[in-house]
Amino acid sequence: MSESSCYILDNGAYTAKAGFSTMEPKVVPNCIMKAKSERRRPFVGSQIEECRDASGLFYILPFQKGFLVNWDTQKTIWDFIFSKECCPVNFSETPLIITEPIYNFSSIQEAITEIFFEEYECQSLLRINATDLAEYHYRKTHNNECTVVVDSGYSYTYIVPYIKGKKYKEGIRRIDVGGKVLTNHLKEILSYRQLNVMEESYVINQAKEDSCFVSQDFMADMEIARRKGSSNTIVKDYVLPDYTTIRRGYLRDIVKPDEDLEQQTLRLNNERFSIPELLFRPSDVGIPQMGIPEAIMHSIEGCPEENKESLLENIVLYGGNTLFPGFRDRVFNEVRAFALDHFEVNVTLGENPVTYAWEGGKLMFRDPDFYSFCMTREEYEEEGKALAFERFDI
Amino acid sequence: MTSRESGRVKDAEKRRVLDDAARKRRARKAIEALEQDNFHEDPHADLVMSKKVPKFADSNEKPTRKKKAKSAEYYKMRFRKTFAQLVEEDASFRPDPPNYLSAQVPPSKFPDRHFCAVCGFPSNYTCIPCGARYCCVRCLGTHLDTRCLKWTA
Ligand SMILES: [Zn+2]
Ligand SMILES: [Zn+2]
Repeated sequence: MSESSCYILDNGAYTAKAGFSTMEPKVVPNCIMKAKSERRRPFVGSQIEECRDASGLFYILPFQKGFLVNWDTQKTIWDFIFSKECCPVNFSETPLIITEPIYNFSSIQEAITEIFFEEYECQSLLRINATDLAEYHYRKTHNNECTVVVDSGYSYTYIVPYIKGKKYKEGIRRIDVGGKVLTNHLKEILSYRQLNVMEESYVINQAKEDSCFVSQDFMADMEIARRKGSSNTIVKDYVLPDYTTIRRGYLRDIVKPDEDLEQQTLRLNNERFSIPELLFRPSDVGIPQMGIPEAIMHSIEGCPEENKESLLENIVLYGGNTLFPGFRDRVFNEVRAFALDHFEVNVTLGENPVTYAWEGGKLMFRDPDFYSFCMTREEYEEEGKALAFERFDI
Repeated sequence: MTSRESGRVKDAEKRRVLDDAARKRRARKAIEALEQDNFHEDPHADLVMSKKVPKFADSNEKPTRKKKAKSAEYYKMRFRKTFAQLVEEDASFRPDPPNYLSAQVPPSKFPDRHFCAVCGFPSNYTCIPCGARYCCVRCLGTHLDTRCLKWTA
């Protein structure tokens, strides 16, 4: 009963990564959006690419605070993902690997088991944490003993230590800062300082992705941003999309007032690095929590003494926020400074950070024991949902 | 409003100082705002949307499903639970740490940094009426004119 490929759905709170293990994954917005400009229909998942004017988009998300709670929304998006329009699949012939958040609530776990066996008529199902797939990916390419997986996503940043391939739960740490907090904070300060963009989450999220970087020396960059004229190498203008000639905004050097190009722009100065800084200092916006490097150390401190060395040597980062330029270097420099001198520290940015866990699923499908990790439809029918709790360590 | 009255209001404003509870409420609201998905109403809310779920082309050439697929609405009702309910449930499912609640990181060991509420640069001063931070007289002026006590939280 082994198939030549499986279907992997890394079901994130902001994007779902979906596709067959033999193909490249599709990255699909895991939401339904409504546009002011188009009143005829909502846009499901990647249909948003067909929307001519993405200003004032209204989001309907299946996830709340990182957990799947809006089932009608999720079902509609899954139906889209599994349809011809996106990435069609027949689960009665193809095993499925689906990811869930760390500590996913028990009734959500039950619901996923039920919907895939009963609604989508799944033959073999593997429910797993995305960090497990990322750890598998890292371990299969590094042959290491222990790993610290840092997943910095839309709702949270999770730090999960693994010892010999197994999650070490006492060491799991969560920071309540993810991409959403960063975008919302950028929206808030721009709306106060320059232009009301409170309704423009979609556009400002793109502005964040296109403009922000992680500072390597925060106070020094603040001094550079204070400078006037060309010695301020940080200040830039973000040209906003107008949906006639510009579909996605972009960053450009500031121009003198007399060469104004008649484009609507946002002036970005200290915002460019004080936004991603929240991942390193959540207290900058009043969230009383450690930043990522401090939390990595706190996580490792919670692990057995004999594994600390290997953990520090194998820190892997993935998720959308890790794409900010300078992210890896900042994590490395701070962890290096915190760790005792005689320990080696290695920090790796997962190759293609957005699909790093998905790619781990691809490797896991080739594991000779793959089918022993799964639950079959027959097992579900005979033993019910209780077996799923035994088999899947979420 | 007569000018005398508005003058009195202004004097009262000047003396007003936000108490600790109001400052905490403001801080909590600011953090809650960072969690929001939308800051505006559904632009289609005034439309009478047909209840029908969008239909996607079936994934198979010929339908192999014997039973009729259940609607999105069905699953909404079937699995309806709020975030608060789920957290409460988890307290009996995983009563002892490590669990969702215990995984949250503690506060940083580093002292808090302060930034000007107006321009975002490091700040050394605190607004007496509301406790916001500012960096210079100009930013304080902007703050008093725009936010300070003008927000009711
Ligand atoms: Zn200032
Ligand atoms: Zn004030």
